[in-house]
Amino acid sequence: MSSLELTFITIVSMSAPLIFAVIGETITERVGIVNLSLEGTLLITALASFAVTIWTDSLYLGIISAGLIGGLIAFLIVLINFRFYINQIAVGFIFTIFLWKLSSYLGGDFVRIPGPYLDEISVPILKEIPFLGPVFFDNNILVLSSIILIPLSWFFLFRTKFGVNLRAVGENPSAADARGLDVMKYRFIYSFVGGVLIGIGGATFSLEVKYGWSEGHTLNYGWIALAIVIFGGWNPVRGSVGVYGFGILQVLSLKLQSLTIGFSQILPLIPFPLMILTLVLIQSANKNEGRWFPKPIRLLILGNQPQSLGITYKKDS
Amino acid sequence: MYKSLLQNFITTILAVFSVSLVLFILQVSPLEIYNNLFDGSFGNLDKISRTLLIATVMALAGFALIITFSAGLWNIGIEGQMLFGAIGATFIARTILGELFFAPVIIIIFGGIFGSLLGLLSAFLKIRFNVHEIFGGLGINFVASGLIVYLVIGPWKREGIASTGGTDLFPAASWINGFGESNFPVYPIVIAIFIFLLLFTLLSRTSLGLRLIATGANTDAADKFKIDAGKFIIYAFIFAGAIGGIAGSIQASSIHHKLVPGIAGGYGFLGILIALIAGRNLFTVVIISLVFASIMVGGVQLQLRLGLDSSFPYIIESVFVMAWLIIKASKVDAKLLRFIIKKEGNFE
Repeated sequence: MSSLELTFITIVSMSAPLIFAVIGETITERVGIVNLSLEGTLLITALASFAVTIWTDSLYLGIISAGLIGGLIAFLIVLINFRFYINQIAVGFIFTIFLWKLSSYLGGDFVRIPGPYLDEISVPILKEIPFLGPVFFDNNILVLSSIILIPLSWFFLFRTKFGVNLRAVGENPSAADARGLDVMKYRFIYSFVGGVLIGIGGATFSLEVKYGWSEGHTLNYGWIALAIVIFGGWNPVRGSVGVYGFGILQVLSLKLQSLTIGFSQILPLIPFPLMILTLVLIQSANKNEGRWFPKPIRLLILGNQPQSLGITYKKDS
Repeated sequence: MYKSLLQNFITTILAVFSVSLVLFILQVSPLEIYNNLFDGSFGNLDKISRTLLIATVMALAGFALIITFSAGLWNIGIEGQMLFGAIGATFIARTILGELFFAPVIIIIFGGIFGSLLGLLSAFLKIRFNVHEIFGGLGINFVASGLIVYLVIGPWKREGIASTGGTDLFPAASWINGFGESNFPVYPIVIAIFIFLLLFTLLSRTSLGLRLIATGANTDAADKFKIDAGKFIIYAFIFAGAIGGIAGSIQASSIHHKLVPGIAGGYGFLGILIALIAGRNLFTVVIISLVFASIMVGGVQLQLRLGLDSSFPYIIESVFVMAWLIIKASKVDAKLLRFIIKKEGNFE
């Protein structure tokens, strides 16, 4: 196995949690809900999956429970927003702090316990493809699902009737309501689905990337995921490109670490200026339909946020 | 007045009850916690001084957020503005100005200027490029914290050692010292009172404040009254950034006496929680800051005596705020108040 192959295997498996989180949040935001609690949700689900796995000795129960907890958190945020008209961002922000600190309180007993990990499964035939085979198709089930999820979620959002309806609810809930869609039902269901994916992302952290649990296990990855969702223009494929790009940066930094002191401490911050830059580019490109930019770049930066993102929906009656 | 006080009292009781319930679920005794928190924050003069100093920083963060909330803005960048204030303070303390006897004054002023520059950046991104202030602010926070790490291990590193432990201590002239044995934080409190009065006048007594609030309440309507929303967004961010920066410079020269990574200590984020409860009420900011500061300072005692994790204060605070918002939104407190008043009426 060449070292380049090994490097890419690292990148793909390291990126799996962020892929889940970014696609989960993309779906949530496409239906018009901001789940700002990502940072907290990832931490608590990473802990939960590890704890459940230790208790039950079953990795799959660990993953399932993390997914359910992630979904439940998203559901609660929508419920509080819908029932009491409290701003989604406020609720998400409070949840972030609460879950983050709760994870370090509850996780005390689990620090530095050697963790279980998933077995490799390889896809027959496909794994024989040179380079791509070992990198993408000779992995454990979580990494494999994260790869399959990318085209699947794109197809769902942009090529199925459910996806069209979902996006319609996120763009213009009143119009969607007039067309007979139950706006709140859509928002509850798809933010739950998004939350489940985010929760699985948390599980992927503790069962696949950084085995076990330590305080602040996934620190800052929630915010990074939120940044990458924007970078990806609310598109799962573009978002995943962002995730892998970040993965490449991370691996590079590990290699450069010996050369420049302190670079590894600055590296996790790189997505944030990129996020601001992307937002600036997207907004200025949308002003003049991207006339200034050559076509391939236009494809990469055009796109706007769902119009009703973060706005509390009140049905006109 | 009397009624709204009573209603807030009911809300507080219900919120404390919710916190107790959560503590109970986490299998710790609420009474023991409250007891230790109170003792740990107000038990002696040393602790009171410490609590008041932290409360001052939190209240300043809360004040800053009230301005931006009034203008309808989510200034998540407050944490970064505080960090930049600390950078400004360190910048002065490291120059010849830091040796002067009035160095603290320059430090506070520069902290304010640095903070407002960062606030201005959020405003610029929002107005010129339509970048939402949450994501702009979030990004700026991380950039600011990265900048501090860079400064601490790079240009401003301690002689011979590049560690993230912080810069050299400020020269003694640049310290904002307290009074007496307990280091009672007189100057920070005076600054906070001054800013409180300034904001109170600004928001309730001037047309500038009124227009600011109008912008926040309804941007389109404000537009029709020829109020330039963009201008007020800029004002709000400059003011908020300056106050945040002052809070940061107090942390640098009064608490740490040097620049350390993460110097804002999460107080900016707690400031957001405080402002969520306070709405536009400056008095409430002061009260909640005192309560939260006592939870933070008393939290040290929870660690020492009960062996509880340092995350506990945050758990209590976030549950308190969530409960408060839900109680207010569901109007349970108002219903209870009406019930109590009716009952009293029957007695007479």
